[in-house]
Amino acid sequence: MSRLRYFFKRLLLSLPVLVFGTSVTFLAIHAGPVDPVAAILGTQTDAASQEEYNRIRRQLGLHLPLWQQYIEFMIDMATLDLGQSWVISPKTSTETLISAYAPRTLWLGFWSILIAIFVGVPLGFYAGMRSNTSADYFASVGGIVWRAMPNFWLAVILVAFLSQSQEFVGVSWQTLGPDVTVTGAAPLQNLSDPNNLLAAIKKVFPAALVLGSASMGNEMRIGRTAVLETINKNYVQTARGKGVSRRTLVWKHIFRNAFIPLVPIITGEAFVLIGGSVLVETVFGINGIGYLFYRASVQGDLPLVGSLMFVFILVIVFVNILQDLLYILIDPRIGYSDT
Amino acid sequence: MNQDTETQSTTGNALDAVRANPRPVAVWGAVAALLLLPELGAVLASVAEAVAILVSLIPGDPGAALVTDIQRAVGDIPTLLSRETIPNRGYYDGSQWQGTFAGLEPRDAWLLRAVLIYTYALLVFWWVVVGYRWFRSNYRVSDWTPFDDMLDRFRTHRWGHFGLLVVVLFLILVVFAPSLSTTTVDQNIVDPYSHEISYYDHEVESVEQTTVGTANRESQSTGEENIGPWTYDDYGRFHPFGTLPSGKDLFTFIAAGARVSLVIGLVAIGLAGLIAVSLALLSAYYQGLVDLAVVLSSDSIQGLPSLLILLLLSVLLSDTWIGGIYSGGFVLALIYGAISWPFLWRALRGPALQTAGEEWVDAARNFGQAPHTIMRKHILPYIAGYLLVYGSMSLGGAIISIAGLSFLGLGIDAPTPEWGRAVNAGQEYVASESWHISLIPGVLITLLVTGFNALGDGIRDAIDPQSDTDSGTESAATGGGA
Repeated sequence: MSRLRYFFKRLLLSLPVLVFGTSVTFLAIHAGPVDPVAAILGTQTDAASQEEYNRIRRQLGLHLPLWQQYIEFMIDMATLDLGQSWVISPKTSTETLISAYAPRTLWLGFWSILIAIFVGVPLGFYAGMRSNTSADYFASVGGIVWRAMPNFWLAVILVAFLSQSQEFVGVSWQTLGPDVTVTGAAPLQNLSDPNNLLAAIKKVFPAALVLGSASMGNEMRIGRTAVLETINKNYVQTARGKGVSRRTLVWKHIFRNAFIPLVPIITGEAFVLIGGSVLVETVFGINGIGYLFYRASVQGDLPLVGSLMFVFILVIVFVNILQDLLYILIDPRIGYSDT
Repeated sequence: MNQDTETQSTTGNALDAVRANPRPVAVWGAVAALLLLPELGAVLASVAEAVAILVSLIPGDPGAALVTDIQRAVGDIPTLLSRETIPNRGYYDGSQWQGTFAGLEPRDAWLLRAVLIYTYALLVFWWVVVGYRWFRSNYRVSDWTPFDDMLDRFRTHRWGHFGLLVVVLFLILVVFAPSLSTTTVDQNIVDPYSHEISYYDHEVESVEQTTVGTANRESQSTGEENIGPWTYDDYGRFHPFGTLPSGKDLFTFIAAGARVSLVIGLVAIGLAGLIAVSLALLSAYYQGLVDLAVVLSSDSIQGLPSLLILLLLSVLLSDTWIGGIYSGGFVLALIYGAISWPFLWRALRGPALQTAGEEWVDAARNFGQAPHTIMRKHILPYIAGYLLVYGSMSLGGAIISIAGLSFLGLGIDAPTPEWGRAVNAGQEYVASESWHISLIPGVLITLLVTGFNALGDGIRDAIDPQSDTDSGTESAATGGGA
């Protein structure tokens, strides 16, 4: 019961986050220094464009007082009425754009989380179990440097390296396995066919590796610390004392508890993924949702920018709720103490 | 950390100690004055410029003429470690180099200046450390303060030393950027067609004149044509890091960009730190509703995708007056500070709450001290160290974020140098001869961010050996995904 109450409390606390984020977006676009209609039309000043100006203005509801615009904006967002695009792809609804662009980003995000977990966590646990050996130092320093590399730079270097891999290491990345080019979006049709699936995974792999790099480093660091801390806990000593096999000791008593501090790191990747997707997608030429957001901002498609921002905030809030749920599942102590 | 209060309460005694044994302070002061001499001109010029800025802020400009006179007088005082006294730019007249320092070739003249500047700056740094040690052994009344333990712990922290070294080398690059670079930003990057240089034309075997812009156009690094690191171009100009695709000198670009990055990072993190400390003090002292309000607002801000907000706002504000200050860097710093304080606040909240629960805070409250005095005197000193730790780590994140925006062509307006734009410029040429354009700035960013993190680790282990990595700031340290 107490755990359920904890969960509902967290659910309630996520509402202000959503409202605040949406309000900030509204203010930036509707009360900011750039007139959305002028941004859409560019710099034309003849009579026809003046008429067009007034028409778009009315259609966007910009002739209303600001507070009325605010209420309409919030109601639209709350009912998921996301409006349409004006510049990037005129007269297309935002939902259509998102359903066209989002799968590529989701595919990228999914693999970047997976690669980060499957490389970062084992490395961190390995380093933690063998703390203060040269292998530990090597892994730790490697993780820190790997994390410090800017995503956009790593992406540039990786693209260059892979497209010329024939000259550098004598093996061409393009023809290794399924034949796919280094840049561009992964083909996501017919994923049930193993060949297509393999091609799609290979295609997204370099971008996912870059996008997951920071998280990989974090997971390694936290994983190492968590294992180190757990190993010295009394219950581990007790278990060892009563003769629990090493296998059970490591998996049941050490790893399960060491996973708890990793949960917020893994879910916290949502921030990094959403922010980083803009840069990584730009370099790898993946026309995903981050790239869409970047183009919409730069080309003055402000109504679309507002809707996309709302979707991003929604995703982050959703991931935070997921994190609480995971916490409750993994750590039975949640909700029983006051903290 | 108690150091301030301890020295304050014993100031009188420390003065007595100086009177009793004036030798160390005299020696230290004499050497410090000697160390100031080579840079006297530059130091006085900066002071005069600061005064000029202050005077220009006063309405009616009283004493503007006087300030100009002072600036002119100060300008006559030579700076020994400068481009003027050790020039590296010259031309070959067929038999020897003209215009460079002692007729050395430009590479050696530049190298000499760079080595001298770094030696000088490291010497100054070392002399400050020596000064503290002499103060500690000769004049400080108390034999021991908690700060001594922190210093001792830092002295054995190798990883922290690495961080300190990287940060100090970077700071020297930032402070001495105009003297360290091979040419000036104005001549080479901002306004190349208004400056003329002489060079030796090997075909006609005579000294010719041309504009820097023309010379740059002939020195491009674009794969087929390439001026790589540590080479000369056809105009006798030496490029330690090679040239950009536009033919501009990469080292000059990087040195000036380092200044821009650090200034923006410091303003952003300074602002974030100020907000975070104030709120941490308030929420720890009052707790209850105040704490809840801060938790809610910090949660709300952390719920925003920071890099995207930064991107959107920098686009929206780019044409306003505030977007023009410092080539757009000022507004970036403000936005970054406003959205990154929750990460710092989360790191400070725990220590602040813990300190607020200590007996001495209770005692001060019962004694009748005002809340702001209690916060400032009895809580702040205990969380200041944590601010330094997490501020240092976030600085790396800020630098990456700003570079990421510049990479996309947003944020800092061209032609003001920014590291991210160099990475972008070299993007197409990474796999060609001109690999240096993207690779060098990226390696430098990685090194610098690692350095800031290492320094943060070192300080944290020094002030609080029990604590370990705080997960809350991990994403702040990576710049929200840039």
